[in-house]
Amino acid sequence: MSTRMMDQVAIVGVGSAPYSRDSKRSSLSLGLEAARNAVLDAGIDKNQIDGVCGYGMSAVEAHGAGFLSVQGALGIGETNWVLNSWSGSNLVYATQAVHSGLTDYCLVIQVEMRSPHMSAQAASDPFRVNPTRFAGTSSYGVYSAEWIHTGQVYAAWLNKYMDDYKVSRNTLGLIAINNRQWASKNPAAVKREPITMDDYLNARPIWEPFGVLDMDIPIDGAEALVLTTADRARDMKNKPVFLHSLSLGGTRVGEYYENGIAWDKTCPWVSNKGVWSRTDLTTADLDIFFPYDGYMTTAISHIEASGFCGVGEAKYLLQDSWDEDEHIIKLNGGRTMVTTNGGGFSHGRMSGFNFFTEAAQQLRGTVEVERQVPNAKVVLASTGSFHHDSAAVILRAD
Amino acid sequence: MFSDAEVFQRYPDLRITWDNIEYFRGLLGHRFLINRCQNCGYWIYPHRPMCPECWFTDVRPTEVSGAGRVHMYTLLHQGGVDGALGYGFEYPHLTGAIELDEQPGLRYHAPIVNCDYADVYHQMPVEVTWLEPEGHPVVAFEPSASPNREIEGN
Repeated sequence: MSTRMMDQVAIVGVGSAPYSRDSKRSSLSLGLEAARNAVLDAGIDKNQIDGVCGYGMSAVEAHGAGFLSVQGALGIGETNWVLNSWSGSNLVYATQAVHSGLTDYCLVIQVEMRSPHMSAQAASDPFRVNPTRFAGTSSYGVYSAEWIHTGQVYAAWLNKYMDDYKVSRNTLGLIAINNRQWASKNPAAVKREPITMDDYLNARPIWEPFGVLDMDIPIDGAEALVLTTADRARDMKNKPVFLHSLSLGGTRVGEYYENGIAWDKTCPWVSNKGVWSRTDLTTADLDIFFPYDGYMTTAISHIEASGFCGVGEAKYLLQDSWDEDEHIIKLNGGRTMVTTNGGGFSHGRMSGFNFFTEAAQQLRGTVEVERQVPNAKVVLASTGSFHHDSAAVILRAD
Repeated sequence: MFSDAEVFQRYPDLRITWDNIEYFRGLLGHRFLINRCQNCGYWIYPHRPMCPECWFTDVRPTEVSGAGRVHMYTLLHQGGVDGALGYGFEYPHLTGAIELDEQPGLRYHAPIVNCDYADVYHQMPVEVTWLEPEGHPVVAFEPSASPNREIEGN
């Protein structure tokens, strides 16, 4: 694996739109707010933006916050590179585009809406149901449309994981408690009241063994970043945050989730193998670690895939790393914090892109003092699904 | 035999292609078909037109025995874009990935019926039963009626 892209591209602008349960705003509206804030934060003129990675599951999606809508809505005159994608691949695509020279200043946008797939209440809101009729429709079969691209299969995976490795929900709940504890220090989080293990164990069942606290919290919101080359970044107003090592992870399972191969052969293992093969750093160097908490199942898998512990050994790592006083997980003997913004479980569902924005701000040293990790230099954000768009990214600051 | 037009008409909400129409035609006649490579014998699911093992393109929809084991499962309490599971299914709904006996790793997502959530277990032997909610034939699985399979399998 080559390291030629190491530290050659940097994040220079960070922007967000507010997270809420019911914004009564369109995905384009939220995406534009985050994008505007990221460009303003970068301190550049909007017409310096010459690349846009818009939000969308298809390359030329023509609604929502795809590049076709975003570029015109922001009034960006000309772009030389555009693509739609979603977290976590979008950051990797944008980084390679900047590194290759196809774009000098690239805007990356991630939007999430509380969709009818994720919320029983949203399923009765015509403003939320209507767009789903025009999204890519199922081609998977009479019965399996729901299984695909929802988390139901992750619930089944967790049943199997708990059986195979003899893990109880008493251990898994530590992740939910950790994330909520950090969210209590994050004013942008939608769920901020600390929770107990009893709260976790007694949460409303959704797809067993999942309770509602095993799943990210569907919200309306958006995040955006501006990337440029490391050389340009050093002359700009913000402390540069370098993309140190990146890797996507794909397997042959594709969209047929029931074909999921062994637990430790899924996408998070592939992306983590890739990211660590492109650096001399190790997990011992991490100041903050973000394991993707789309579902409890993914959080566990990203923890194990990262190399902090072996396959099926997350339960020991979590128990050994639990700080009884602070109610958080502390890895590496106490120096590595986990999911400092509250993650998908408590900050809100952003498909892991909020890891990238939080990491950038932690590395700049600009988050609220209550959750700032002192002198944070190295962060791993490991995000994405078992079966697509898995991305592991190490971010670094001088 | 069901005509192409009839297959499209019976499954109006699905993206039916040259790669999968035989599978849907099979469902209408309660035949459970999975593509099989005519070169190496590999069973191919999802319905792809080429064998992922040997890249042979003579792939034929072939009836499977309908016997399998529960690979993983979950009990759904809610979901669905319109708040319903579709095809008349009701919550709570037991669903899972069934590994078919024909080949390790050959799995099919289906309802698990005639079995409570408390009683289902990983590797439980199951066999096909057909449901026909709202006139759409669906492959489902129920606990195997053959008591010997469990002993053989273990």
